[in-house]
Amino acid sequence: MGNTISTDLIRGNTNTIILNILRQGDSYGYEIYKKIIELSGNQYELKEATLYTAFRRLEQEGYILSYWGDETQGGRRKYYRITEEGKKHYNKYREDWDFAKEVLDKLIKGDLYDVK
Amino acid sequence: MMSNKKNPIDSKVRRYIDNLFSEVGPSQQLFDLKEELTTNIKEKIADYKFRGMKDDQAFKEAVISMGDLSGLVDDMRKLGQDTAKQSVYSAMTARISTAGIIAGVLLVLFGIIDISMLYFMNLEAVAVAGNGIFVVAGGALITYSVLTRETRKKYAMNKIRAAFYTLSIGLLLFSIFTAVTSGFATGEIYIAIASFMVFFLAGVSLLLFLLLTGTDRWKNNV
Repeated sequence: MGNTISTDLIRGNTNTIILNILRQGDSYGYEIYKKIIELSGNQYELKEATLYTAFRRLEQEGYILSYWGDETQGGRRKYYRITEEGKKHYNKYREDWDFAKEVLDKLIKGDLYDVK
Repeated sequence: MMSNKKNPIDSKVRRYIDNLFSEVGPSQQLFDLKEELTTNIKEKIADYKFRGMKDDQAFKEAVISMGDLSGLVDDMRKLGQDTAKQSVYSAMTARISTAGIIAGVLLVLFGIIDISMLYFMNLEAVAVAGNGIFVVAGGALITYSVLTRETRKKYAMNKIRAAFYTLSIGLLLFSIFTAVTSGFATGEIYIAIASFMVFFLAGVSLLLFLLLTGTDRWKNNV
């Protein structure tokens, strides 16, 4: 699934990826993990170790909150929900991303003779 | 998707998680994280099995796909150290327990020194042995103080249970004390044994009951 460079590129956006999933509904660790694979069209797997570390940071920053779901056969699930603060952060990041994407595209693929 | 039966994989997952955090001090966050991880890994294993994997293979694949958990373990270690320090050192009970241990040791020492002093004054044996009551009281006090103390490795015993332990140790020490004093007072060994027996048996039965009904106070097993 992808080479090292693209993995690093994506990993830098772990928090936003999680917020994108949670803004569409509450979810728990393993389900979020599966949704990320699904969103990437089976091209990217974010390790759960990275996910749980990110949950803790996001919760400390107040972007998400957690609550325990009902008991299932496997035990209790810990659910996460995005906060208002988290939604604001996500929207801000989304704008930044659009800008960066455009600039990066020019910087990486741009032909000097086209700029005049 | 998941079976209702208890399967060996469940305990395997629990052991894996326990092992992973075995060096980490206890905290509420650790307790929660372990439950969260366990639930999610079990669900993943169930998915793998649903796709046709055998138990062992499903477990292995699930663990590998978790990735490197050392960062998470480090986070928890920091939390564990902080909370362990707070709960052990700031607790009032710890200070009371310390005072209790010191007082208990002093009582025992006082009793022993007093006995040896009177012994060399060539007093009557009964009068000498009578000071053994200090050792009995001191021993009981030490028992209570040690049991109600929270350490890095163990939680404190609840006060009522600790009081029963104290009573049983006190009875055992007192049985020796009465045996010696009544023996010297009457000069008859059978009286010594008779009075010893009453308190000793009561103490032993109480102690046995407590030992066999104890709950686990080791912090690592939380």
